Amino acid sequence: MSNFQVLKLEYGACVDSLSEALRGGDETAFFTAVDHIVRMREPATLTEIRKLTGDLQKALQRFSIESRLADIAENEIPDARTRLTHVIRMTDEAAHRTLDLVEKSGPLAERTAREAAALIDSLKSYRDRPMAGGGFEGAVRSIDAFLPVARAVEAFLPIVRTDSEQIRRNLADVLLAQGYQDLTGQIIRSVIKLVEELEETLASLTRLSGDVVEHTTLGESPDKGHGPVVPGVTRGEVASAQTDVDELLSGLGM
Amino acid sequence: MSKDLKFLVVDDFSTMRRIIKNLLHDLGYPNVAEADDGKTALPMLQAGGFDFLITDWNMPGMPGLELIKAVRADAKLAKMPVLMLTAEAKREQIIEAAQAGVNGYVIKPFTAETLKEKLDKILGAGK
Repeated sequence: MSNFQVLKLEYGACVDSLSEALRGGDETAFFTAVDHIVRMREPATLTEIRKLTGDLQKALQRFSIESRLADIAENEIPDARTRLTHVIRMTDEAAHRTLDLVEKSGPLAERTAREAAALIDSLKSYRDRPMAGGGFEGAVRSIDAFLPVARAVEAFLPIVRTDSEQIRRNLADVLLAQGYQDLTGQIIRSVIKLVEELEETLASLTRLSGDVVEHTTLGESPDKGHGPVVPGVTRGEVASAQTDVDELLSGLGM
Repeated sequence: MSKDLKFLVVDDFSTMRRIIKNLLHDLGYPNVAEADDGKTALPMLQAGGFDFLITDWNMPGMPGLELIKAVRADAKLAKMPVLMLTAEAKREQIIEAAQAGVNGYVIKPFTAETLKEKLDKILGAGK
C-alpha cells in the first residue's frame, strides 16, 4: 500500500464527514471533524513542541542542580573533610589528655596504699609488742614504743591529703576532657546534613536523567575491614558482644 | 608464663596503642613496642625479638588480616601467637580471621578483663 493510499484511508472518512457537515450547515459536526483532523496531525507538531518544552525545562532544572552539585563538590566536600579531620584531632587530644591524667593518678593512689600498708604493719607490731610491765617505767616504755608509729602517722597524713587532692583534680580534668564529645558531635551532625543534601541532589539528578544507576557499595572489600559497627548502617550478621565472638570461634574449634 | 615477653601492638590510632600498652603494663608485661600498620609492623617482626602480636584489622596501608597472613606465611614467624583486637564484628570476618590463623579475637570496645582472659588463654595454650 502506498503512502498516499494510507493517508486516503486515514483522512478520507474525516474529510467526508467534514464536507457533509459543511453541506448540511451542521456547525457542531463541522468543528468536531476539524478537531479530529488536527488531533490526527498532533504527533508530528504539537507533541514535538511539547517534548521540546519538556526537554528545555529538564535542562534548566538540571543546570540548577548541577550548579549546586558543583558548589558542594568544590566547597562543601573539602570543608566537610577538614571538619572530620578536626574531629579526629579533637578525639585524639581528649583521649591522650585523659590517659595522661590516669597515668599521673595511678602512682599517687599506689603510694597512698603502700604507705597505709606500712602503717598498718607498724600499728600491728606495736599492739603485739611484749608486755612493757607495770608502773611508771612500763608506761614510759609503752610511750617510747609508740613514738615511731605516731611520727609515721604524722608524716603519712599530709601526703595522703596532697595526693588525694591531686587525684581529685586529675579526675575533674578527666571529666572536662570528655567535653570533646559534645563538640565533635556537633561537627559530625553538620556533615550528616551535608550528606543528606548531597543525597537529595543526586537523587533529583537521577530522576531527571531517568537513567537506572547501578547500585554499588563502597568499602565492601572484607580484607580492608568495615570499621566499627554503626547501628542502622552495618548490614549482615554482626557479633554484638565478645560472647558472640567466643561462641563462634569455639564452634570453629578454637 | 614469663613476664619478659615482648609484645608488638599494631593499630593506626595512637590512643588505642597507648590504651593497650597501659593495659599490658598493668598485666605485668612492660615490654611493648608499637607500629601503626601492617607495613611498618612486618619488618619489625621479621627483624626478630617479638613473642606476641596484637593487631587491629582496619588500617591504612596493610590491614591486620593481610599482616596475619604474611606472618603465617613466614617460616620464622608462623608460630607466633596473634591476638586480633578490632571493631570489625561481622560473622564472616571473624571466621576469615580464624581461617587466617589468629589465636584470639577481641572486639572493641573491650574491657581489661577480656584482654587478660584472652592473653592468659593463648599463653596458657602455648605452654
